[in-house]
Amino acid sequence: MSEQEQSTVAEPLEVHFPQAVTPDERKGYQGYVVATEALPEVATYARDELGYDYLSSVTGVDYLPEGKTEVVYHAYRTAGGPALVLKVQVPREDPVVPSLVGIYPSADFQEREAWDLLGIRFSGHPNLKRILMWEGFHGHPLRKDYQEVYFEAENKPFKNRWPEGKVYRVEEKAPLKKNVQYPPDFTAEGWVPEGDAALYAGMGQVVAAEGGNGRALNTDQIVVNLGPQHPSTHGVFRLVVTLEGETIVDLEPVMGYLHRNHEKIGERNTFLMNMPYTDRLDYICAMGNNFGYSLAVEKLMGITPPERAEYIRVMMAELTRIVNHLWAIGFLLNDLGAYFTPALYAIEERELVLDVFEAVSGSRMMCNYFRFGGVARDLPEGVLDVVRELVHERLPRKVDELDTYLTHNEIIRARCVGVGVLPPEDAIAYGMAGPVLRASGVPYDVRRADPYSIYDRLDFDVAVRYNGDVYDRYIIRLDEIRQSLRILEQVLRDIPEGEVQTGKPQYQVRVPAGEAYGRVENPKGELGFYVVSNGKPNPWRYHVRAPSFINLTAMGEMCKGQKVADVVAILGSIDIVLGEVDR
Amino acid sequence: MTLVQILFLLFGLVTLLASLMVVTSPKLVHAAFWLILALAGVAALFILLEATFLAVVQVVVYIGAIAILIIFAVMLTRRVMHDTGPQVNRSWWVALLVSLVLFGGLVLMLAQVPALAGTPAPLMVDQETLLEDLGRALVDADRYVLPFELASVLLMASMIGAIFVARPPSGSEERSGER
Amino acid sequence: MDFNFQDPFTSIGELLRGLLLGWGLAPGLVSLILMLLGALVLAGFAMTLAGVFLTWLDRKLAARIQDRLGPNRVGPFGIFQPIADAIKLITKEDIIPEGAERAIFKLAPMLAVMSAVGIWAVVPFAPRLIGTDLNVGVLYIVAVGAIGTLSIMMGGMASNNKYAMLGAFRTVAQMVAYEIPMVIALLVPTMLAGTMGVGGIVEAQRGGWFIVLAPVATLLFFVSAMAEAGRAPFDLLEAESEIVAGYNVEYSGMKFGMFYVAEFLHGVTIAALTATLFLGGWLGPGAQQFPLLGLVYFAIKTAFVYLVISLIRFSMPRIRIDHLLAFNWKLLTPLALAAVIVTAIADKLAPALGWNRAVVHLTANILLAWATFEALRAYARGIRQRVEVQPAAVETGGAD
Repeated sequence: MSEQEQSTVAEPLEVHFPQAVTPDERKGYQGYVVATEALPEVATYARDELGYDYLSSVTGVDYLPEGKTEVVYHAYRTAGGPALVLKVQVPREDPVVPSLVGIYPSADFQEREAWDLLGIRFSGHPNLKRILMWEGFHGHPLRKDYQEVYFEAENKPFKNRWPEGKVYRVEEKAPLKKNVQYPPDFTAEGWVPEGDAALYAGMGQVVAAEGGNGRALNTDQIVVNLGPQHPSTHGVFRLVVTLEGETIVDLEPVMGYLHRNHEKIGERNTFLMNMPYTDRLDYICAMGNNFGYSLAVEKLMGITPPERAEYIRVMMAELTRIVNHLWAIGFLLNDLGAYFTPALYAIEERELVLDVFEAVSGSRMMCNYFRFGGVARDLPEGVLDVVRELVHERLPRKVDELDTYLTHNEIIRARCVGVGVLPPEDAIAYGMAGPVLRASGVPYDVRRADPYSIYDRLDFDVAVRYNGDVYDRYIIRLDEIRQSLRILEQVLRDIPEGEVQTGKPQYQVRVPAGEAYGRVENPKGELGFYVVSNGKPNPWRYHVRAPSFINLTAMGEMCKGQKVADVVAILGSIDIVLGEVDR
Repeated sequence: MTLVQILFLLFGLVTLLASLMVVTSPKLVHAAFWLILALAGVAALFILLEATFLAVVQVVVYIGAIAILIIFAVMLTRRVMHDTGPQVNRSWWVALLVSLVLFGGLVLMLAQVPALAGTPAPLMVDQETLLEDLGRALVDADRYVLPFELASVLLMASMIGAIFVARPPSGSEERSGER
Repeated sequence: MDFNFQDPFTSIGELLRGLLLGWGLAPGLVSLILMLLGALVLAGFAMTLAGVFLTWLDRKLAARIQDRLGPNRVGPFGIFQPIADAIKLITKEDIIPEGAERAIFKLAPMLAVMSAVGIWAVVPFAPRLIGTDLNVGVLYIVAVGAIGTLSIMMGGMASNNKYAMLGAFRTVAQMVAYEIPMVIALLVPTMLAGTMGVGGIVEAQRGGWFIVLAPVATLLFFVSAMAEAGRAPFDLLEAESEIVAGYNVEYSGMKFGMFYVAEFLHGVTIAALTATLFLGGWLGPGAQQFPLLGLVYFAIKTAFVYLVISLIRFSMPRIRIDHLLAFNWKLLTPLALAAVIVTAIADKLAPALGWNRAVVHLTANILLAWATFEALRAYARGIRQRVEVQPAAVETGGAD
């Protein structure tokens, strides 16, 4: 690869930019601190000369005591290897950072999120507006001096959330009073709903009021909200679509309906208390989420789990992958209009895998099974036999069955081949992850590129397909199930006896100050947890790099020029879970 | 008055009323739906004349295809759909005049037909041969094959014209500006 | 009074006529009353049979296909589930959305049911059991189907909802397009039977069902009628995963129920028509003597075709709108025209050759089908070559 060759020639960042780039000297921290104004230049150099073409995560940390806000970038090479961590420090009163959307389009949604939750303004961002909170929300909730209205603010209207034992919803008492910003001349009584044009002015939608597409015979473009309540958005999610007949002219995802500020909750909780919360991110793959979070905190604590625990973890993660991909394939077919038959076929085996999860963790979906330095408890007797039967008998048969029924179906091919094509360079630029990235011909898999746990010892191939369309995204999931089965066979063969937990189980872990970015190849893509600790019982910053969320960045690009029916197919092929998108 | 006469009056009234509404209703979509009612009324009149074939064709072609396409075209342009402009333009009196002249001509012509002078005798047609006769008439060189073929050529020409007009201009932007 | 058990329908009719005449009513009025009564019985029969029994069978079948149990709570094997559903629908709030065209909105479901049931007027259920044997029966079927299109479009347009509007767009594009191959395919049985009357078409199949004489036309009619009725995989007008429910998204309560019934009846109607026009209708051993037996044959054939439609519905994803239209204009319509021409030639050829008529027609149809497959294969090969040659051409500098 030419990037590789260049990277060996190019000089490291601190040599090339002696003034602008300094290594981060703080204890427990890594990476480089970059001068604010030099950031685009440094990023361009890192991308073009050093080969860090994949910007994985963008987030901010509010260091209230130091009076500054830090923006943290994690960039990787798609060829593999460790991260390049760039940091920009700005005063927290008016944090302005140059936007990297022009260099790394994947920063688009993440910068919007950082603006929304942390109030960092990214100059030059084409569409900097709130993404998870609603337009008009007052304040930026992840800033450390943000106080929750009614409950944390100086003058509390209620003593606590349940005054005198009665539950009041906030909006019953004072509907949105202090929590919404109105324009100065706004009166609620005199307000009349405006037309489509005004309604979607903030949506980046071009509604040509005077109409037309420059042709002799003009038909009107119509704006359709696919969602928030729509059977194919897989949850409460909205796609604002401008249509010319049946053809998509413009599309913009609107999210945040399920937003619960997972990260704020995470910063209030102690480290271990977050573990069950991670289950709720991508609720199809609770085990995978546990895995990522444990890795991040274990990095901070400097511990590694015992061998048996590693094997159990990998086993659970791969079973999760199978579950997720079966689910994704089934519901992709549902989106294609197959009326539940393939979906019900696909999730038949899922129930059996969930039985395994129930046996080991006590819960089918919200597993909460991993612990820092191991897993919560050892496998009950007989579980291994069940898994062995699944892996050797039922699951391969199910994959073959789906393959037989679906892969060569004429309608499926007609609906999927060549639809929603994402070329490899775009896939990297938009920070796509997981099956979506690999279906575009980029063999990038965190399990291989930056191995964690015992993946470096296991023999498996990184599934890759080259056309980058919906069909390849479907078929790569079958490939990945087959690879997961290979991994599971090895795990079942080699799993040793022994401890499943380093040290004694404890509710309050001591986490030394520092930062860590733990990432795993979750079924939906790279799931990253960026955790900053200051030595206190709860994390100072807890950020989730959610693959479903970032994979949506390219949604608009993929859908333009396609038909309405393709939008749901493309969305189904990206495979999002709203619990993770909205967090 | 026989049942048939009552029905005739009923359908005739409905047809007339619907046609009136077509030209007077302020919204274009409503006009299109009134048009459908008028066409259905005509189909019913055909049935009263025992011309089932014509009635069915009326429904298939006029209601099933033409009226639906009119509504479709209106729906595609939503601004037109909500349009509630004035019903008449400056030359309304010309239209009125032309229709009156046409109507007068028709009445005069029909008055010449002797069968219409007295009470009409009930139509006695053998339904089976009627249909066959119609079919033969359309392909018989001595009867109506020429008008039939002319009409089909005309329709073909208009179809090609429609496709030509509706097709997006081939590539260039400035050509679309010209048109 | 002698009751003819071999032909109960005529007997009942005569009995009633005698009774009413005995009350001193005018003969014209009696005829009218009998006709209305017949229509009521027919519609009631359609509703009960299709609405209750077939819905249940359909759902049970779907459940079996999909690895579930299906309705199993109300009545034995859940057979009264459709009744419970109907009660639920009736008791639901009837909502008319803001900004809807109220009159059209209310009229649409009625027209929908009307068009579905209206076709049954010309379907011969058994010998001498037919609503009215119109001499333009086949065209009547098409005309009433067009009213169904109109009803869906009215519902979509009047709802003041963009999904409904999209559903209406799709309705027009799809139904107007698929009407053409359907009508042309209907010409084939008409030509074979020498009449447009549906009763006559059934009678003409004594020599051999038209599915044997015209398999291509049968398939064409079946496919295009499915598209016309909006059954999966052509259910774009109410594509749940795309435009939510299409034209009926704003309907609730019994108005929705009527659309639902209409859609269901439309499916049954297609099955009945296919059975009548191509599978010999009520024909079968002994049907002439015992019309009741004819009714049973007819019901079995209809149910069979309907279950085939259901099977297709539960095993196919949905076609996209542009593929759907391309399929119609590029394959079905030309093929239908070809089928008509082939039938016409074969019909003239058979007496000239002195062969069996069925053999000639079947051979002609097989030849047509073979030619179509070859043409399709050549077309697919062309596409594949274009796709495969292109990257190679870039690398080797156009070594085509």
